[in-house]
Amino acid sequence: MPYWYYDKKDLQNTPSFRDGILNETENRYRKEGARFIIDTGSKMDLGYNTVATGVVYFHRFYMFHSFRTFPRYITACCCLFLAGKVEETPKKCKDIIKVAKSLLTEQKFNTFGDDPKEEVMTLERILLQTIKFDLQVEHPYGYLLKYAKCLKGEKVKLQKMVQMAWTFVNDSLCTTLCLQWEPEVIAVALMFLAGKLSKFEVVDWNGRTSKHNAWWDMFVEDISMDLLEDICHQVLDLYSPPTQLSGAESPPPQLGNKTVPKNEKPSVTPPTSASPVTVAKAVVTPVKNGSDAKLEPPKIDMRFTYPGYAPIPPYPSIYSAPPPAIPPPTRLPLPPGPPLSLYAEPPPSTRFPPVNVPPPNYFPPMPTRGPMPPRGPIPPGPPPPRPYYPPP
Amino acid sequence: MSGSSSSTSPPTLASINDVSALFQTAKKYEELNVIGTGAYGTVYKARDLHNGGQIVAMKKVKVALTEDGIPLSTLREIALLRQLEAYRHPNIVRLLDVCHGGQSLERESQLVLFLVFEHVEQDLESYLKRAPGPLSENRIRSMSYDILSGTDFLHSHRIVHRDLKPHNLLVTSSGRVKLADFGLAKTYDTDMKLTSVVVTLWYRPPEVLLGVSYNTAVDVWSCACVLAQLHTRTPLLPGSCDSEQLHCIFRLIGRPPRHEWPENVSIMADSFPDYPPQDLANVLPRIHPQALDLIKGMLVFDPAKRLTALDCLEHPYFTDEPLT
Repeated sequence: MPYWYYDKKDLQNTPSFRDGILNETENRYRKEGARFIIDTGSKMDLGYNTVATGVVYFHRFYMFHSFRTFPRYITACCCLFLAGKVEETPKKCKDIIKVAKSLLTEQKFNTFGDDPKEEVMTLERILLQTIKFDLQVEHPYGYLLKYAKCLKGEKVKLQKMVQMAWTFVNDSLCTTLCLQWEPEVIAVALMFLAGKLSKFEVVDWNGRTSKHNAWWDMFVEDISMDLLEDICHQVLDLYSPPTQLSGAESPPPQLGNKTVPKNEKPSVTPPTSASPVTVAKAVVTPVKNGSDAKLEPPKIDMRFTYPGYAPIPPYPSIYSAPPPAIPPPTRLPLPPGPPLSLYAEPPPSTRFPPVNVPPPNYFPPMPTRGPMPPRGPIPPGPPPPRPYYPPP
Repeated sequence: MSGSSSSTSPPTLASINDVSALFQTAKKYEELNVIGTGAYGTVYKARDLHNGGQIVAMKKVKVALTEDGIPLSTLREIALLRQLEAYRHPNIVRLLDVCHGGQSLERESQLVLFLVFEHVEQDLESYLKRAPGPLSENRIRSMSYDILSGTDFLHSHRIVHRDLKPHNLLVTSSGRVKLADFGLAKTYDTDMKLTSVVVTLWYRPPEVLLGVSYNTAVDVWSCACVLAQLHTRTPLLPGSCDSEQLHCIFRLIGRPPRHEWPENVSIMADSFPDYPPQDLANVLPRIHPQALDLIKGMLVFDPAKRLTALDCLEHPYFTDEPLT
């Protein structure tokens, strides 16, 4: 069976890198491809699971192929197309292409060739072979809900934290975290981050025993503070500007003619900026921009300016659909599997619990991962300025 | 995909064709010989060239492509098989790899898939044929348990095997039994039945033979037939055609009372003689009394009254003394 987790060295020495593409550029392509899948999926009313599955396919695909060989936007379409079928939310290929065309500049759409549908069909077989038919992908969302159910504390604050963590999970799709850590670990880390930023401190939880130092010890063994912080920083890096903007346009030749204003007005904090306005309206206790001043310390504008090239647009409502106990707006597709409601009964446990949760040897042992770069603890506000990952 | 696309799009795109070709020719497995031809495709013994020449069993399945590529049902089934593999259940044959041989040359609308399984030397059919004498009571009990626990595992993942029989049960060198050949029912249905291949009916439950809707209970019936065969080494209900098979069944368990006869069946209960039920102990002489009780509970006409695979695993036959 294929193993889909890589250490940071592998993530730097990718087929694209060996093909002459800088890591920084590749990271941008990955981010743009992921963002494009999210945008296309949302425009087609696909659920977050389908979208996330498509994005994971996309990241895995480029661990075997170069962005120079396979232009990112058509690959992205193909990933979404396949994910739609696997998650039983199929969309017609031609419809996906139609939406893609509406979202892309003409120049970018030209990479789809003369017969875009036929290209996607061919690509589907290459994609399947590349991801080794390993089609079922798990995402942090379900774990996020499951973990949240066990936490004790003020309901409103808990919901706020979960909503924020949900948004971080959405954003984490634009990083390579899904190639580094199991969804359980990502869920823990981003809940940890959301807890810090929303000042929700978990002091007690259901199922607590004397062996537990933190709530996540119940679910994931041996998770270190260094690891949590490393994961959080990778997501937070999405909101900080890259160290250099030049030299980014190497291989896939077209850099949309959409000129991105270099100094667009700085955005707000990641969680709040990404928070959907629509959902915030629909939800009774919205995590709304600026609704909680404490979430946005004054210095935040300095820290969380988006990179000049790609302002992260606010999420369409379905992706940010938090899992709160409040009934979601009717058009929200319910996620398959675990119930949406935070306080609903847990799903019936199967008689054969997955071997990887909790893991005997499933998680790669920490020590072999190499030392984590030393980092300070995450402050309860935005992190201090630090170099863009990867460090030199 | 046309070569002309390269004229209007960046040259990089044309290489998709090349890579595709590369995939099709990259030799990962060397076919050695045909192991068997089932109703839905051929199984080859092959050598895994990337893994030290390990011997594997490759199942070749032809999939009809639709307007939108590979059918959803096939993708779902493969995804599920892959997912099951993560549990590494001891009574389920290992699925090592899935790959495709590209679009077939003769038929453009068809894709050839290869499912690569661990190779197990023999199946239960040949194991029973080769057995020099009756199997030991312990061997029977542990094999019965293996079969039922593999079946229960599939059922807990909402998979109905539909075709459990000695030919699909593999016996490892250490005598463990593993289930094979499941999970592709929809893929098969959409496509390519090889009509010339005779499908055995001996393990089919009455509801399938009568053509009414069915569920996981069908596998429990089939298991019962196999379990009985472990004791006698001959098939329990060797019917020769659909109706003969039903006669066989009713001669053993008796014709069911009219109120148990399913609705919407074209065959009437009256078309069968009013067979009285036989004592299973006469058919399975010298059988362990608990084993007899278990099999009786599985060979029940009404699927709803049949034991489930989990019930079977908790039967005193298995729990009274520890399995060795």
